[in-house]
Amino acid sequence: MSLQSSGGGGSRMPAVPTPSTGAVMPPVAPTSGVSERKQARRENWRLIRKRPAFIVGCLIVLVWVACAILGNRITPHHPLDYRGPINQSPSWDYLFGTDKTGRDVLSRVMAGARDVLKIAPLAAIAGVVFGVILGMFMGYLGGVLDLVASRIVESFLALPTVLIALLAITTLGNSSWVVIGVVATLFTPIVARTVRSAVLAERDLDYVTSAKLRGEGKMFIMFREILPNVTGPIIVELTVRIGYAVFTVATLSFLGAGPPPPSPDWGAQVSDNYNSIVAGFWWTTFFPAAAIASLVIAANMIADSVQSVVEAS
Amino acid sequence: MRRFILQRLASIVVTLWLLATIVFMLVNVLPGNVGRQILGPFAPQVEVDAFNARLGTDKPLLEQYFQSIKRIFTLDFGDSYQSGSDVLDIILPALGRSGKLALLAFIITIPISIAAGVYAARRQDKFADRVIVNAGLASSSIPEFVTAALLLSVFAVHWKLGKAFANPPEGTSLIGQLEYLLLPALAMVFAYFGYIARMTRAGVISSLMADYTRTATMKGLSSKQVMRRHVLRNALAPTITVISVQIGYLIGGIIGVEKVFNYAGLGSTMLSAVGAKDIPVLQGAVLLVGIVYMLSTLLADLLIAYLNPRVRLEAKR
Repeated sequence: MSLQSSGGGGSRMPAVPTPSTGAVMPPVAPTSGVSERKQARRENWRLIRKRPAFIVGCLIVLVWVACAILGNRITPHHPLDYRGPINQSPSWDYLFGTDKTGRDVLSRVMAGARDVLKIAPLAAIAGVVFGVILGMFMGYLGGVLDLVASRIVESFLALPTVLIALLAITTLGNSSWVVIGVVATLFTPIVARTVRSAVLAERDLDYVTSAKLRGEGKMFIMFREILPNVTGPIIVELTVRIGYAVFTVATLSFLGAGPPPPSPDWGAQVSDNYNSIVAGFWWTTFFPAAAIASLVIAANMIADSVQSVVEAS
Repeated sequence: MRRFILQRLASIVVTLWLLATIVFMLVNVLPGNVGRQILGPFAPQVEVDAFNARLGTDKPLLEQYFQSIKRIFTLDFGDSYQSGSDVLDIILPALGRSGKLALLAFIITIPISIAAGVYAARRQDKFADRVIVNAGLASSSIPEFVTAALLLSVFAVHWKLGKAFANPPEGTSLIGQLEYLLLPALAMVFAYFGYIARMTRAGVISSLMADYTRTATMKGLSSKQVMRRHVLRNALAPTITVISVQIGYLIGGIIGVEKVFNYAGLGSTMLSAVGAKDIPVLQGAVLLVGIVYMLSTLLADLLIAYLNPRVRLEAKR
């Protein structure tokens, strides 16, 4: 990844057991066959698609994804072109105005979608993958491993995430991969805790016992038998984590752990320009800030829809 | 009860140790020479060596590690690399300023969001409920610095309300300081409103459906009494947990808010320490945040036990 970007780590309060994420899922048709499970999943997907919040959230995300992919092929001006008028308020030529070096704010906001959309989903996915593996081991194997890991996970949850991320990125450098790695590491224990409690609810069910009696290995039971039955909470956790990842990545890049100045990254733009709000140049901060807000809200609308459908089933 | 508190204290010690270890590891991953980093590439080697000797950064890593662990428990974080003054003298006043801001934010947030949560729960699935839930979801999912920047553009610039720079001049009265702290506190109110309101709503809904509520209603208590003595008491436990957990995350969010409003709190102190690689200050500040966070969760657990006899009895067993 060539563009280094904003930092990773602390969502505001990932440790809060919201009524939903903390709860242990009811086992999804534990003894049923694969086809029944598939059917239930299809039914859930149908319910999710019907939710207005999901549709609106997806539309917003799609707009930003389009901006990220097409980049300066669709922006009205080049995001780094500084030959425009300086500090001009929004007008027909420059819908979002221009910044202190004469760059078009609209073009920069559109191009800035790229950094966060590249880093946040990758970080969330990596965090969920590691969290699932860790949570599976903790929940299924139990014993000393679970005891020690639980302690460590709990302590991790007590850490001020944004701070730790900031510290890590300062020492490790702010390349995209470091940011992804740091955010993923901080998300892992949170995901692990959710997965662990879901696995605990499954491990004594009949299908697990019969797999044991068949003489299946531990790895097989964990990842082929139990995993398909805990996908609900995992999918929920993934969508929730993506929202938090956007939040965290934007915050870290605002705090200076993001890409260096000429980059149109949203957090970096806010950080560059917030000091000139008081001089009356509000548009250079307002629009990138609003862009962050729209993406985070959209991600949360999607997560919330998925969560309420999966938990109702 | 005593056993419960002792257990919690033990886990606080473990967590602090882990926190200190993580910080130490992060600070020492790069084989960089601290003295060289601080003094720059052109400083003579003699000076760099003397600097390292003074800081103790020339000792073996294991010794430095034990040193840093000892420091948390003695609350002696050493001297700042930047200014040379005692770390505690830097971070404690900063914590005080951040605390003032956080306190104001909580004083505004808690009553509003609990009231909104109870109101929403009693009108479940009606229009008012939907508005409160969705507004809460939206406002609490936006990063604090974004809210702060948006508030600053709208209030301070367009409506000329509040102050853009949150640092009150020396000697401003407590009431006078409010004007300075109002906008940054408001930014945090937006962030926390949603969580607390949603948690309260969920708690109230589940305890409105509980048997004890039905019993209380059947034995003829007025609805006000049922609400106050039975529903709220039970519904507030998860809310209190959320509030206490947020105190820790508040610090994360407060960094952004302090930066937007140029407020000289703990967040700004940490940011400038990060920029200058001022490790003792950073270490001290992170650990201080950890201590504050863990004490606040402990306090919350005690409060829950106080409010709910069942929890108290369970702890006694």
